[in-house]
Amino acid sequence: MNQTVKHILIVDDAATVRMYHRAILEEAGYAVTEAVNGVEALEKALDKAGAYDLYLVDVNMPQLDGFGFLRALRAQDGPQAPAIMVSTEAEDGDRRQAFGAGANHYLVKPARPQQLLRSVGLLLGERGERA
Amino acid sequence: MQDATISADDFQRFREYFYRRSGIQFEPSKRYFVDKRLAERIRATGCNGFRDYFAKLRFETSGAEWQALVNEMTVNETYFMREDYQFECLIQSMLPELMAHKRPGEPLRIWVMPSSSGEEAYTIAMFLLERWPHLAERDVEIVSSDIDTRILAQAQAGLYSQRAVHQLPASWLQKYFTREAGGWRICKMLRDAVAFTRVNLNDAAEVAAYRGFDVVFCRNLLIYFDDASRRQAAESFFDVLRPGGFICLGHSESMSRISSLFRIRKFPQAIVYQKPLEGL
Repeated sequence: MNQTVKHILIVDDAATVRMYHRAILEEAGYAVTEAVNGVEALEKALDKAGAYDLYLVDVNMPQLDGFGFLRALRAQDGPQAPAIMVSTEAEDGDRRQAFGAGANHYLVKPARPQQLLRSVGLLLGERGERA
Repeated sequence: MQDATISADDFQRFREYFYRRSGIQFEPSKRYFVDKRLAERIRATGCNGFRDYFAKLRFETSGAEWQALVNEMTVNETYFMREDYQFECLIQSMLPELMAHKRPGEPLRIWVMPSSSGEEAYTIAMFLLERWPHLAERDVEIVSSDIDTRILAQAQAGLYSQRAVHQLPASWLQKYFTREAGGWRICKMLRDAVAFTRVNLNDAAEVAAYRGFDVVFCRNLLIYFDDASRRQAAESFFDVLRPGGFICLGHSESMSRISSLFRIRKFPQAIVYQKPLEGL
């Protein structure tokens, strides 16, 4: 197992969704910080480089949406944490935009706890550690 | 009028740059293919010729044009059941061996790299469902990754042309697909069974998250790499696999010519390569 607790930034304007994801992730032993839109998320992400190990990002948010957040984030220099984009829409166009904006993975809301943890663990490189 | 002509020098400079950043080497024989796609990107971005475009590509901070170019330059030609003898080999030879060393409750993990439009990962999922009797008692994880963001969205959407499904047994097509206006849509159960992720195999930091896999399918990718990149990719896959894990390459590719890290395994259905078990 990892020595350090992995830190995840949840970016979603819906309080219920943030709570749902936070509960699942904290239960699994992750540290969680929340942001309510892309602007706040960007401030938090840029405030301290390397503060987050993974981003869990909603698509539709006021001020700056998930695509805009990821594009701005990916325009930064230096190593980048992986991002999962979460959306209620199973639209093909959303998915294309998500990957194009810099997401590493795409999940349709609501993601089952097991599915979410699997994806998070995969991108954090934890799935293969049980060997 | 924009001049999208690409000189021999331009081609050479572009080729070296593209190789450094992606690990993909274009042979001189691919010149027509490369020129055509470059000209398309020069037009699409409104750049004034190759030099202008090349400068944009190198100096833009967002990486958006780089990604658009990669999407154009990668070849995504595949179909369901392509080289299916390897999937037979998976079911009949590789899995029984892998299971002999697995603890109960330990998942079976398969990585398809490159994913392309998803046909291979979904074919593996169908083979496991239809042909592997131990699926009920084993947690299986199939991850399918690519550098091309456009093709990943397509893979996850799971909508295929008649050509892509032409080799599928009719009963599988009926069971796992529905007919739509745009073609054949693969069912949600299978779409949920595969995790699609964006990965650049040439980026060691990105690949570092991919560990502990039992089988890797890397078919018809290394043919686009030069010797140094091939060797580096082989070393990456070595780290990705568990001891005793297998890697399957395309029929025209040979790991023996690339690296001596793996053991060659000649099964009745196919030749594959194995990371040695520890202590052997």
